[in-house]
Amino acid sequence: MPDLSWRRAAAVTLKDAEHVRADPAPLIVLTLMPLLIMGFLSSAFEADLTERYGPAPGGIAVTGAEQAVPGIAAMFCFFLVSYVGQTIFREHGWRTWNRLRASPLRAAELIGGRVTSTLLLALTQQTVLFAVGGALFGLHVRGSVAALAVVAVALAASMVCFGFALIAFCRSMMQLNALAYLTGLLFAGCGGGIVPYATLPLWAQALGKVTPTYWAMRGFNEAVLGGAGVGGVLLPVAVLLGLAAVFALAAWCVFRPEQVKVPWS
Amino acid sequence: MLRVSQVSKAYRDVVALRGVDLDVPAGEVVALLGTNGAGKSTLLSIVAGLTRPDGGTCTAGGPVGFAPQDLGVYPTLTVAENLRFFARLAGLWGARAKRRIDQVAGPLGLAPLLDRPARALSGGEQRRLHVAIALVPEPPVVLLDEPTVGMDVVSRIALVELVRGLADAGVAVCYSSHYLAEVEELGGPTVILDRGRVVARGTVRELLRDHGESRVDLTFTGPAPDIALPWPTRREERTVRIVTDSPQITAVRAINELGEAAQRLQSVEIRPASLESVFLNVTASETSETSDELNASAESAASNEPDGVASDA
Repeated sequence: MPDLSWRRAAAVTLKDAEHVRADPAPLIVLTLMPLLIMGFLSSAFEADLTERYGPAPGGIAVTGAEQAVPGIAAMFCFFLVSYVGQTIFREHGWRTWNRLRASPLRAAELIGGRVTSTLLLALTQQTVLFAVGGALFGLHVRGSVAALAVVAVALAASMVCFGFALIAFCRSMMQLNALAYLTGLLFAGCGGGIVPYATLPLWAQALGKVTPTYWAMRGFNEAVLGGAGVGGVLLPVAVLLGLAAVFALAAWCVFRPEQVKVPWS
Repeated sequence: MLRVSQVSKAYRDVVALRGVDLDVPAGEVVALLGTNGAGKSTLLSIVAGLTRPDGGTCTAGGPVGFAPQDLGVYPTLTVAENLRFFARLAGLWGARAKRRIDQVAGPLGLAPLLDRPARALSGGEQRRLHVAIALVPEPPVVLLDEPTVGMDVVSRIALVELVRGLADAGVAVCYSSHYLAEVEELGGPTVILDRGRVVARGTVRELLRDHGESRVDLTFTGPAPDIALPWPTRREERTVRIVTDSPQITAVRAINELGEAAQRLQSVEIRPASLESVFLNVTASETSETSDELNASAESAASNEPDGVASDA
């Protein structure tokens, strides 16, 4: 690919950051809302998790946050797809998309810059949700925090690539919103993000195994309840990265810079 | 600096451009004149690389700065942030970007507005920002597609001055407009497009000479008199319209020729040749011929192209 510049990609990332600074409300909502839901759900999982895992070494009791915090964090990670889609679709509404196309910016640089900003958003969201949610609702990580972080990075990567595939596929913002929330809920529901995977009906468990949320929850559970280190979460991380690669390939095949997107309907 | 050769484009069965040639040398402003739908925006969009032509070639001697017809700014970002982003895309960072932003913002009256979000600007101010975005990368070729839409008179004059300044600095500028006054003010080479085809080209002076029509309008109280005058005339209700190359002299002589009808003469209007008359002349003479060809082309496209996309290259 000729003449690619990381500086142009960085310019896109910095511009996205300026957009967030100018209008942070949607991201604040996407961070506060899951914290509220964690508060509602944590105690509901306490008995089930205590029965299945028992107290942590040192007698630290299970609080239910071990399911609620990673589960809701994983679910809301995929709700970022709609936000990221909006950042692309509004370029069409503001008619800046053609300005970008007429500028020296290459499509790969635009995507690279935007993937970086989206990854940073997702990682910030995950960090806040695990840190604040964990502190508020008593999350105790029995294994390694590094393992938790590695899974969170892989989850964010799969979400970003899935998001771009969906954005490439959808022609209007309405389509994207509908599909983003539908898939976000399906992933969370079947993947064990809303309630523990073991308690799901068999059909949902079968579906769940092809969702990124299932593999993210498997990794989170290994670290939080299973006491695993980084080595113990390599399989779920590898699957998440594999799914990310599949989504990225799909996005690359479908994405057409010249396609006109309909931003407001 | 910019060379467009035999560019053609059709959207399904509608031919937008028909073998257009255009040269914009460095240091010149070439005005592109035409009505809505004449093909100006399609041509500029092709030159900017946004639309693929069906045939022909475009060669630009460097990056192209493009201000499309549709306003395109980031409303939630400030004026400075908008400009800084496009400066960065052009490789200008830090002090270089700031210097360039100041250079562009000053003449366009944006300097006091740099910290204001674009959505808080008036329509005319947004349009100036829109133009500034095209100029901030310091491109050697600039395409401005109807850049003064929505601008007030002061901004419009400032923009025309700025465009002249760009040309003086060696930039090749292609300036599309349907404001005849603006094109006359630019005074440089002008290309008139009509239904996707170049129907006239030359400096304003040449166009006026070759296609302009100066005339004298004599208006009477009551019906226009049926008198024989030694010039080509047209009668319209109360007006006798005389087409002439020297309207001042003709006006004096015509009054002398009126005889008794002079008593009913209400006003004498001398209308020198204008770009408006050039435009009306060249587009009117092409209309019937072009519409016939358009119909033929549309029929041919529909019958020859399975997907309905005509290729008239």
